[in-house]
Amino acid sequence: MNAPAGLDLADIPERIQAEVQRAIQRSIKGVEYFSTSGPTLGSTPKDILHSRGTMNLYHYRALADEVYRVPVLIVMATTNRGYILDMVPGQSFIEFLLKRGYDVYMLDWTAPRPEEKSLRMEDYVLDFIPDCVRRVRDDSGEPDVSVIGYCFGGVLSLLYGSIFNDGPMKNLICFTTPIDFRELKLFSNFSDRRYFDVDRLVDSVGNVPPEMILSSFEMLRPASRTVSQIQLWENIWNDEFVKSYRMFDRWATDTLPLAGEYFRAITKDLMWDNKLFNDSMTVGGHKAQLADITVPILHAVAEHDHIVPYEAAKHLIAKIGSQDKEEVMLKGGHVSLVAGANAIKRLWPKLDSWLGGRSI
Amino acid sequence: MADKGSDPVALWQKMIGEMEKGFNAFASQAMSSPEFSKAMNQAGGATAGAQKQFGEFMEKYLLGMNLPSRAQMIGMAERLQNIENQLNEIKAMLQQMNAGNSPPGYAGAPRPPRTKRPPSAQPASGEQK
Repeated sequence: MNAPAGLDLADIPERIQAEVQRAIQRSIKGVEYFSTSGPTLGSTPKDILHSRGTMNLYHYRALADEVYRVPVLIVMATTNRGYILDMVPGQSFIEFLLKRGYDVYMLDWTAPRPEEKSLRMEDYVLDFIPDCVRRVRDDSGEPDVSVIGYCFGGVLSLLYGSIFNDGPMKNLICFTTPIDFRELKLFSNFSDRRYFDVDRLVDSVGNVPPEMILSSFEMLRPASRTVSQIQLWENIWNDEFVKSYRMFDRWATDTLPLAGEYFRAITKDLMWDNKLFNDSMTVGGHKAQLADITVPILHAVAEHDHIVPYEAAKHLIAKIGSQDKEEVMLKGGHVSLVAGANAIKRLWPKLDSWLGGRSI
Repeated sequence: MADKGSDPVALWQKMIGEMEKGFNAFASQAMSSPEFSKAMNQAGGATAGAQKQFGEFMEKYLLGMNLPSRAQMIGMAERLQNIENQLNEIKAMLQQMNAGNSPPGYAGAPRPPRTKRPPSAQPASGEQK
């Protein structure tokens, strides 16, 4: 039998030997995989500055001898845990910021309890974020605060910034933040108002269960989970691959439930009526128009983002009222934009060079 | 060494990658249809309804068995949460009281000065897109 074109017959024994060794390693490491837990995530030293129900405000301990005057408050997406930005030493966005001399705070979320099902958009935008901003100002002693919002944390930051437009927010940075919800095509279809009875769902279950949210994310790429498990098996001999897989897999599946009333508002105001894009959004009777945001803003989007495609995010900069505004598109996907090797090379240095000069 | 075009492992990986892309694209197209939305939401609505009824049934069953109800467990969890919050506050107060003995950078210890300047002394350019 002839070897396929380009295959050197002399290499075959060597290749077989390498594959046999990998197969043995797979068996050994496979047992290890199931008998050990993954790396400890979110371990950068921090203090809980305030905790109230679903809301936690952390202050990270300084890692530099001097810090910029303006503190940074990170607002996490309400569906996910903040440790995506603090994976392990050397791969932590938080650690990077601390070492570059930023004073970092994070508004992170825990699962809302059943009795918190009545939390509304107003609670997040008019209470939780302003409360955290006030506490950051008190703790740091500085009148200004820079806000970084990731994904839906970016949407909440935009709503906050547009309502409190004379407030203490000095700079705004949004990562992969959608404003045109019609362009979240599959999510739009899943929540088609003709077939999706959001009132019935929320009235039945209270808080929207994390399994439902995780399923809707996974349905955007239904084959990817199976393929990633095949890739894990192929690479289980490779400790670095396994470590990275475990970090991202744990985070991706660690989805939070959403408070029922808050989910109802997201569905009706954003998914159905696209009010943020149409300039008709109100929160607790306050108009929330993007044109009212006038602080410097940086919007980082990912070239291959399947959760927030560029079409859903691209109008943000045009609609913002700021003079000092910039959009940067970087290679990567929704998560690899902010965490992992890709982010270390691209987003983090870009953010540092943008924010440093605006934090004095 | 064999080139990637003829390496069976590389070929297998490429095939898996292509299958993933193809299946995802096919599924996305299928899930974009109104029919899919209708079917998915009908199934989801039925599940939510069943879940609600099951929850109510379980509540009655637990009461009959003289076991704590869900509401009571939630109440207990809430009290525990309050205790944890108070412990955190006490911990923070202790750290502040101990400030002089804490290692640098720890809660309550003197904080670094807010004097840092960016490496390039240039003011923010306000670059626009």
